[in-house]
Amino acid sequence: MDILPSEEEQMLKNVAREFLEAEVSTALVREMELDGLGYPPALWKQMADLGWLGMSIPEQFGGQGLPITYLGLILEEAGRVMAPVPLHSTMVAALTLAAIGTDQQKQDILPAVSDGSMVLTWAVQERDARLIPDAIELDAKADGDGWILNGTKMFVDNFVVAERCLIAARTSPKSGSSQGISLFIVDPNGNGVNQTALVTLAKDKQSRVDFKDHRIERTALVGELDEGWPLVEAMLDRGTALLCCQMVGAARKDAEMAIEYAKNRVAFGRPIGSFQSVQHMLADMLLHVDGGEMLTFEALWKMDEGLPASVEVSQAKAFCNEKCESVVRTSQVIHGGIGFMMEFDLHLWFRRVTSWSLRLGTTYDHRARIASALLDVPGQVRLGMPLPMGV
Amino acid sequence: MDFGYTTEQQDLRQEVRKFIDENVSQGLLDEMEAGEEGGRGPEYRELVKKVADKGWIGISWPKEYGGQSGSRIDQYIVEEEFMRRGIGIGGAGSGAPAILAAGTEEQKEYFIPGMIRGEIIFALGFTEPQAGADLAGLQCRAVRDGDDFVINGQKMYTSAAHYASHIYMMCRTDPDAPRHRGISIFLIPMDTPGITVRPLWTIQSDPPAPPGTTYGMPRTNETFFENVRVPASCMLGEENGGWYVGAMGLNLDRVGASRYLISVRRDEDIVNWVKENDFNGYSPAENPAVRDKIAEMWTEAQVCRLMTMRSMSLVNRGGNFTYEGSAEKVWAPEHGVKTTEAIAQMLGPYAQLLSNSEENIEDGLFAHNLMGSFQSGINHGSVQIMRDQMARRGLGMPRG
Ligand SMILES: Cc1cc2nc3c(=O)[nH]c(=O)nc-3n(C[C@H](O)[C@H](O)[C@H](O)COP(=O)(O)OP(=O)(O)OC[C@H]3O[C@@H](n4cnc5c(N)ncnc54)[C@H](O)[C@@H]3O)c2cc1C
Repeated sequence: MDILPSEEEQMLKNVAREFLEAEVSTALVREMELDGLGYPPALWKQMADLGWLGMSIPEQFGGQGLPITYLGLILEEAGRVMAPVPLHSTMVAALTLAAIGTDQQKQDILPAVSDGSMVLTWAVQERDARLIPDAIELDAKADGDGWILNGTKMFVDNFVVAERCLIAARTSPKSGSSQGISLFIVDPNGNGVNQTALVTLAKDKQSRVDFKDHRIERTALVGELDEGWPLVEAMLDRGTALLCCQMVGAARKDAEMAIEYAKNRVAFGRPIGSFQSVQHMLADMLLHVDGGEMLTFEALWKMDEGLPASVEVSQAKAFCNEKCESVVRTSQVIHGGIGFMMEFDLHLWFRRVTSWSLRLGTTYDHRARIASALLDVPGQVRLGMPLPMGV
Repeated sequence: MDFGYTTEQQDLRQEVRKFIDENVSQGLLDEMEAGEEGGRGPEYRELVKKVADKGWIGISWPKEYGGQSGSRIDQYIVEEEFMRRGIGIGGAGSGAPAILAAGTEEQKEYFIPGMIRGEIIFALGFTEPQAGADLAGLQCRAVRDGDDFVINGQKMYTSAAHYASHIYMMCRTDPDAPRHRGISIFLIPMDTPGITVRPLWTIQSDPPAPPGTTYGMPRTNETFFENVRVPASCMLGEENGGWYVGAMGLNLDRVGASRYLISVRRDEDIVNWVKENDFNGYSPAENPAVRDKIAEMWTEAQVCRLMTMRSMSLVNRGGNFTYEGSAEKVWAPEHGVKTTEAIAQMLGPYAQLLSNSEENIEDGLFAHNLMGSFQSGINHGSVQIMRDQMARRGLGMPRG
């Protein structure tokens, strides 16, 4: 037990910070908000060359095979500078394929991800945006050796630039223990696939995606037919924990800006940071960022250890949704009027953290999951010990 | 990053549990229930000796003073298992870290082994009638007289003073120096002539709180010092340097199982209770609002745990605290209050029934916790003062 970063982890964090702070200015972030692709391919390539895109991809597919905690550290630093790159969506899909894809699927996709030549994304949510099997209606009808897709996916990240998208579709009605859901790889540029841009608070790239008689082949299936829901859950858990990394990274930077501002901004003849009410707001920001960070990395660590991590993931996201949001809002308050001005950079962080707090599960969704683990399985609970497992 | 226990640590935990099962007698439980000597009577002291023989007290303290020079995490495991049976063993709040850091060789050789064997118990004599949160305003005087000091003054809320062997106290030794630079620490036997202890009964004294209640203590004290003459060798650290020794000691004393556990035990209790009980068929466990709140509180409790683990990781690495101890001391007490009040709303009017009431729940545990939990946010550095320290020491904010 030593929950602080090891020397090696700290080194990785430092290197990532140095690189990202040099390469990603707020000017670039603003430029990418208006850009058609939403990311600079040259920067993406550099990140590939640094080995970050293959960080947690197995070595035989061009990656480094390092723990997901390491990737988490990179995402935390990416969040810190709000790096406008499709890192999160690509990693969520890539790690899912690395875990459960066929050899052929891995061979086709993972080396291309590692070397920066392929962007990925994933699509689970629909109009009922809850991340539960019942909300998945996109219809995949068997058709000879393949399937025909009809329906709509919502809130899909980076669909405009992705070359592959992992998609959860309904292949059968729910029956018994089977949710009737399957996971497929689709080509965003295929026939009958149409995306409509959504305009988000984060001003990043999200789409509604409509499938009209889009045909996929047998080889598109990931995992077993009808038994895709546990795979989707594992994908969502990884994605959620990695999103928390970004939130924590962004919130910490935002807090640091408030700290600097409080030291320098003078009111009533003294720095506002000398007022106790401001000091206490800052202390709370520190509690909240630290808390979110520790919960997040504990969840990632459990994944690396092969331990159940769903409750830990939900703890992290439920906490970050509220507390990272509180941090960036408090930072706005400490900055007074200037923080509300378009030309001042602070809102770049505020808008992103706010958007992220609404993705991959709301506070209520995650607490419902935690409550179920605590209350619906017989047996005594004890903090710091594994929860009782259902039969 | 490593969030897990080693195999050896898991084994240690099992061994401690087994030891407790085999050695905690009904006599000890009765003695603790009766609350005599703050629950540290003969049976307790007997147990402490056995635990000390196992080498389980002060595991992280140096070997030459009777410790094991071991890991703070190991020590935590022992503390945690005993705390969960309501038994405080060594560790946090003991004053040992300050003695180890600032004591003379004689002091370390005398006090640390004595503390390990449960023969030396300290009362803490910091607070005074006019000096609480603003501790540096303390006035209790110690005047040098040859090789002795003579102490006059009053200490408030000296909780263990009625059964402690010694008091670990702050006195003013230079009234002309700036406030923080005229204070010294003394380690004084309680049986020194001139010391009088008078009880102060807390709101938990009638009826008594059930064991395990957060701040269920029925009694604290005020302690008077009248021409108390002690040798200068009772001084801990340098003359007039006591403020810094005291602050460092307080910081380290905040780390450990006790602070964390008193703030999170109710989170476990309520989950375990609603799973097994109902009110005439109504189960709060099925109420969506209750479920949401329980999950929220459980998550906050995890942060208490992680903050404790972080502090101990820092101690193991040689301990360089800036704000982490203070952070723990804000988060845990405030969480304890939030969860206690949330639980009360889950149980409704039953949560007001005290330990001696018919129809109470768990001997009135939740009701008494409502009376006690806020107290841990006041003492040992209030949450306001802790936030000040986080902002000033942790974030470099200017003083007001
Ligand atoms: C049950 C119990 C056991 C105790 N045990 C011990 C013990 O063993 N040894 C010991 O030495 N002491 C002990 N104490 C004392 C405890 O540490 C003090 O009560 C505490 O330090 C607060 O001091 P005070 O009561 O004088 O309150 P005050 O100092 O008068 O404070 C009152 C309120 O004002 C707030 N306040 C004060 N200054 C500021 C500021 N600058 N900014 C914002 N808010 C401020 C405080 O946070 C608090 O909320 C115990 C107290 C209790 C109730």
